[in-house]
Amino acid sequence: MTIYSLYIYDRHCNCIYYQDWHRVKRLKPAVEGNILPGVSRAVAPHSSDTAASQSAFGTPRNTLSSSSGVVVALGDVTTSISSPTTGVMPISSVAPPPPPQPTSGLPFDEEAKLVYGVILSLRHMVKKLSGREEHFVAYRTSTYKLHLYETLSGYKFVILTDPQADSLRFVLRQLYTGPFLEYVVRNPLLDMDSREHGIDNEHFRSGTDRLLRGLPFFN
Amino acid sequence: MAIFGLWVINKAGGLVYQRSFADGLAHLTSNEYLVLAGTLHGIHAITSRLSPTGTSSGAHVIEAETFKMTIFLTATGTKFVLLTSLSDQTADSVLQKIYEAYADAVMKNPFQTPEMPIRSEGFDARISTLIGSGVST
Repeated sequence: MTIYSLYIYDRHCNCIYYQDWHRVKRLKPAVEGNILPGVSRAVAPHSSDTAASQSAFGTPRNTLSSSSGVVVALGDVTTSISSPTTGVMPISSVAPPPPPQPTSGLPFDEEAKLVYGVILSLRHMVKKLSGREEHFVAYRTSTYKLHLYETLSGYKFVILTDPQADSLRFVLRQLYTGPFLEYVVRNPLLDMDSREHGIDNEHFRSGTDRLLRGLPFFN
Repeated sequence: MAIFGLWVINKAGGLVYQRSFADGLAHLTSNEYLVLAGTLHGIHAITSRLSPTGTSSGAHVIEAETFKMTIFLTATGTKFVLLTSLSDQTADSVLQKIYEAYADAVMKNPFQTPEMPIRSEGFDARISTLIGSGVST
């Protein structure tokens, strides 16, 4: 069972965390100013000193060097960054870089907002239809399945998997009670409810990576 | 195993047919159903854009805690939405039969304007024999 990506949203409707594993279409980096810093290194807008900000937050198995050939775009060869391309992608020491794969067509910040909008609308619809305090759990299309777990404090954990997956709500709940509580809630250096910063940090990223890769059905 | 309701949505997103069967969901006014159908039409379009693996169909099944919605999209853009309990496995086949009934009783009706609300006794009767009261063991 393939897990594609994970989004976390806070109660201010901002995307505060993003991680992906098997994304097929390359992700377009977000436009400057539309995304909070500290969501994910991979989707942050280009900064002029990318050579200096080398990956301190890389997962142990960095998606940049993924063996499946999927590249999460950090440096587009056509955009002009002051640092040389070898400084941006240190893993691929072989020049030239692989031919750019088709992008998803949507910058990351717009995609994150679309995901949030879909979730919000579906939650409202489910609540209206049932008339009680009912929660929307998941939806399935022909190519992916989206699972949602919402905490009482308004944090929404969204995960996209292949369509044959069973409900991953318990996994999201494990993610909440495990890495999230440990490395985000109990982290004194992390401002959780800020409107200006995401919650990307090394421990949380590697913790979720470990948790999800450790699942028996992870591809 | 219960069927709670059936919606038919035209390709512009307007609700053209709505009917409730078993109890289990809230009773809403027809205006509220219209709004929900339009919302669902939009959501269906967006879900096909969010796919991590290129092109995808729109949402096919939407699950909540006590019910689920199965959406059948025809080649002409009409959506048939069936609201059932979670344990119901027959939603897809029922939707196929509803589509056949639609083709017979609605599309072949010379007085039925396409994309307009469906007011056909023949269609109602066919749906009643198909679904009955909506409750089955």
